Formats: sequence, C-alpha cells, structure tokens
Amino acid sequence: MTMTNKQNIINTDPEFGVDSRYKSKKEREQDSIALMQARLERMKKIPKEQVIRAKLLQLKLQMEKYLKEPVYDKQNHFTKFLESYVDTIYVKRSEFAKDINITPVFLSQIINNHREPKEEFILKLMVHSEKVFKNVGEFPKTTWYQLYLHEKLSDTMASHAEWGPKIEKQVKLSALITN
Amino acid sequence: MFVAEVSTGRIYPVDVSPVVAADYKILLKSRYAFDWKEEKNKEVYKLVLKGQTDILGLISIERIPDEWRIHIRLLSVSAENKGKNKHFENIVGNLIAFVAKIAVAEFGPLACISLKPKSSIAQHYIKKYKMRITGVTLSLEVPEIIDLINQYDHD
Repeated sequence: MTMTNKQNIINTDPEFGVDSRYKSKKEREQDSIALMQARLERMKKIPKEQVIRAKLLQLKLQMEKYLKEPVYDKQNHFTKFLESYVDTIYVKRSEFAKDINITPVFLSQIINNHREPKEEFILKLMVHSEKVFKNVGEFPKTTWYQLYLHEKLSDTMASHAEWGPKIEKQVKLSALITN
Repeated sequence: MFVAEVSTGRIYPVDVSPVVAADYKILLKSRYAFDWKEEKNKEVYKLVLKGQTDILGLISIERIPDEWRIHIRLLSVSAENKGKNKHFENIVGNLIAFVAKIAVAEFGPLACISLKPKSSIAQHYIKKYKMRITGVTLSLEVPEIIDLINQYDHD
C-alpha cells in the first residue's frame, strides 16, 4: 500500500461530508420510481404485527409532539388519541373494554366526550399501554396522565373568555399586597 | 438521545434542533465538509451536547409527502468527530434516528427515509444502519426504521 492510499483511508470517514443531493430532475424522478416500485413490493410482505407496531409508534410520537407544543384549542385531543390507540390494537372496541374491565357503554361515553375519564380509567390505560408498548419501544408511564392534564389546562385557557368575567367578579383581595 | 466519548466511554445527552440563521456564520466548510449556506432554504438540523452550543453534526432533509418519504440531502459530523481519532461516537446515528422519528410521526407504517451516498461508502450505511439498497438509493423502512429509532431514542 502506498503512503497516499494509507493517508486516504485514514482521512476518509463515511460519516463526514455525505452529499446525497439529486443532481438533476431526471435523476430524481428515475430514483423515485425505482424506489417506490421496490417499496410497494416490500410493503406487501410486511407482517400485520409490524404495521401495528409502526402505527403505535406513530401515535406515541404524535402524543409527544402534542405535549411539547401546547395547543390551546377546544379539540378533545385526549379522546382522539384514545380512539386511535384502541382502534389500532382491537377490531372491536368492546374487546378493549373487556380487557380493562369496563363496560363498552362506559368506553363509548368517554370516547364520545359524554363522560370524563376517572382516575381509575387512566390508571388502567397506563398499565395496558405498558404491556402493549413492550414490543414497540419506550413509552413513559406518565403519558396518558400528562395528556389528560394538558388537555384540561388547554380547555381552561381556551375558554377563558367564558369563565373569566364571572370568576373575576367573585375574587377580591381583602388585603393589599405590596412589595 | 446520547453520544459516547470515545476516549472515556462516558455518555452525554444530546439535543437535535433546527439550525438558525446565526449558525450559518460558524458552519465553515473546513469543519463541516460543505458550504451549508447553500441549504439555507432547506430543513437543516444540528446536534449539540445538551446545554452546549458547539455543533457536532448536521443533517439537511427534504420531505416528499407524495412518496411518504424524507430524503437526506446532506449529512456530516464535524471534523474532530471523523476518523479514528474522533471525540464522539453515534452522532450520525442520532441524526438519522431524529429524521426517522419525523418520518414515522408523519407517515406511520409507510414511513421511509432515503440516502444516495457514493457507492464507496454505501456499504457502511447498509451494515451499520441496516439500510436497504434499491439501485443506488439506500432506504430505511418498516421494520428497520423502528428498530433504529429504538436503538438511539432514549431519555
């Protein structure tokens, strides 16, 4: 081996300076077509469990994003995430209800926002998710609780115009607080 | 996400965040392999040790939602982190895992990230990151994309 070759090997690192940009529109189109054809073939062979695994990871990442970036709106994100969680794993929602020992009616009322989830329901959800995510990836125990509380806070802030004036009338300071 | 200090084996938590306008002034070609200013109108992310500002690695990407795919345009560790004498290990793994998370969050089971490196370094990505090869394009799809996220994404 010559000195120059040796030097090249030492200086070359496959993770330093990787240029992967397409050089032309044509090159990009050709690569897109070839890659898509190969992917579609591979997708046909992906086992159902792997699809569910990917959907659950997607759900987890979307939950994390929601918790990181506060959205003060009146949408019911907790129940949307819950609905998506249940429908990803079960064919029938009643099967999930049975697995966490609640009635299908109770579950339906929570998903349709006709009933508040009680603490026991969230705790059951926490334990259920812990078991489900064992085969998916890390899932912090606190996630569902955080979602629920985050939503409560969001609802409260989003409806400040409704409750603010009434509550402000009921609150006064009997002692003047000064610095 | 963590990187490991090669000399001591100590691990350090890292943050990956978007490159801001002020960063481009310090992104010299001699240290980061490219003129990153060319990517100013693209989506570019930097990796730093938590609580610090020195940039250890960079990645620029293009989202292609019609194909449920994110294409990696440019990728590089900083000059001190290349070769046998590198300071930190796992910089590129974390950057790819970060992009993989964006892809899975957006496209779920259809998620794909792609890379088109020179053929001389393709084997490295196939071996180390379990990328598949189609023609000259490397890609990461389900289930390998999930395994990569799980390998690098820890709190």
